Amino acid sequence: MVVVRYGIEQALSDRVFRSMFEERKRVFVDLLGWDIPVLAGRYEIDQFDDDEATYIVVTDGTGEHCGSARLLRTDRPHILDTIFPYLCDDIPPAGPRVREITRFCLARRLKARERLATRNRLVSALVEHALCNGITTYTGVAEWAWFQQILAFGWQCLPLGMPSSADRGLSAMRIDISPATPGLLRQSGIFAPIHLMDLDRTAA
Amino acid sequence: MITLAEVQAFCTVARAATTPHALMQAVEEITAAMGFRYFALVHHVDLLTPGSTIVRLVSYPRDWVDAFEEGRLYAADPIHRASHTTTVGFAWSKVATLITMNPRDHAVLAAARTAGLGDGFTIPAHIPGEANGSCSFAMRDGEELEEAQLPLVQLVGSFAFEAARKIARSGIAPIPPAPQLTDRQTECVALVARGKTDWEIARILGVGVETVTQHLKDARDRYGVTKRTMLAIRALFDGAISFTDILRR
Repeated sequence: MVVVRYGIEQALSDRVFRSMFEERKRVFVDLLGWDIPVLAGRYEIDQFDDDEATYIVVTDGTGEHCGSARLLRTDRPHILDTIFPYLCDDIPPAGPRVREITRFCLARRLKARERLATRNRLVSALVEHALCNGITTYTGVAEWAWFQQILAFGWQCLPLGMPSSADRGLSAMRIDISPATPGLLRQSGIFAPIHLMDLDRTAA
Repeated sequence: MITLAEVQAFCTVARAATTPHALMQAVEEITAAMGFRYFALVHHVDLLTPGSTIVRLVSYPRDWVDAFEEGRLYAADPIHRASHTTTVGFAWSKVATLITMNPRDHAVLAAARTAGLGDGFTIPAHIPGEANGSCSFAMRDGEELEEAQLPLVQLVGSFAFEAARKIARSGIAPIPPAPQLTDRQTECVALVARGKTDWEIARILGVGVETVTQHLKDARDRYGVTKRTMLAIRALFDGAISFTDILRR
């Protein structure tokens, strides 16, 4: 299942989202060694996890967190414009129809095959979410090896600046989403039909 | 020196190209704009036995292309081999820092110089589940690479390769999903890849030898292969098991 939540407060009230913050600590702090804050020794939560953040989580059959991403609004401070402005030649794309994809995370317990499947479902969910919510552009920052894979998904992707010569080739990109995007992802074998569960709207 | 705007324009044109010819033209233009003379966009497979989705766009001196194909250098070429060890672009002059060079490698590089190729820059393209590939840009012998623009060249190379992949697969049906193995089959295959016999796998997993034999037979059937070596390679190639499954512990 794919679940969407809006805002940190709501997310923290939900078990699957708490396990997302735990997994983020395991991936970004323990595995990748990023210098970012950890709450209560368990949760990776930073200044961008606020009421305006959107979380998309892919779960397995038993409802456990398998993968997740955080979307940030770009009409207020986000990662590309506050932390990595030097990765963009120009002012990065921003506005009500642009979201920044951050903390793209796959659970460490997954085997190689499950990782790929989860990655594909998460990418598909991001595209569906964009199409359902009037988002036309995603931006993001990735190390070079990951950037190459993102490019190979087959969607419309453009570099925003020169890859950094340090930080394992950190690069900024924009990804344009349109009704044609699912077809492009299908052509490269990435697209997985998914059903977006919007908890807020289900509850309302 | 090119600008990022030129690179972005190239990415857009390359994406829109629907034929190898159109892409070739776009790559030729950007190659010249970057101050290079030659380029090669290739999957590292033997092109004398081609497959349907193989990428190959080359503008190298004719002599070198012939020598390369006749010598069947696809796997042995030191530049290709070096590109399998890294994800970022590298100058050919630095190849010895990436791999151990044997006399044959030196001979290959000398032959390339004789054919008119100077220094070059190669951008690896590693996509899980596909043959390795690369995009290379080369100077004439005696000309020097412009260090400052190499990050942009790296971007161009990656986008050019992706555009070529897209064209190569456009003629065929969408990539079918890889065969699915059960968790138990996957465990058995990972142990095969670590060199274990059926008896050893049975001991490790605490099940009967016949059970292991059956799991592996079923897994081979799903992949349509008859040998356990091929089974392990196929599972590794499409990501059912990973190198960490094999090499850790």
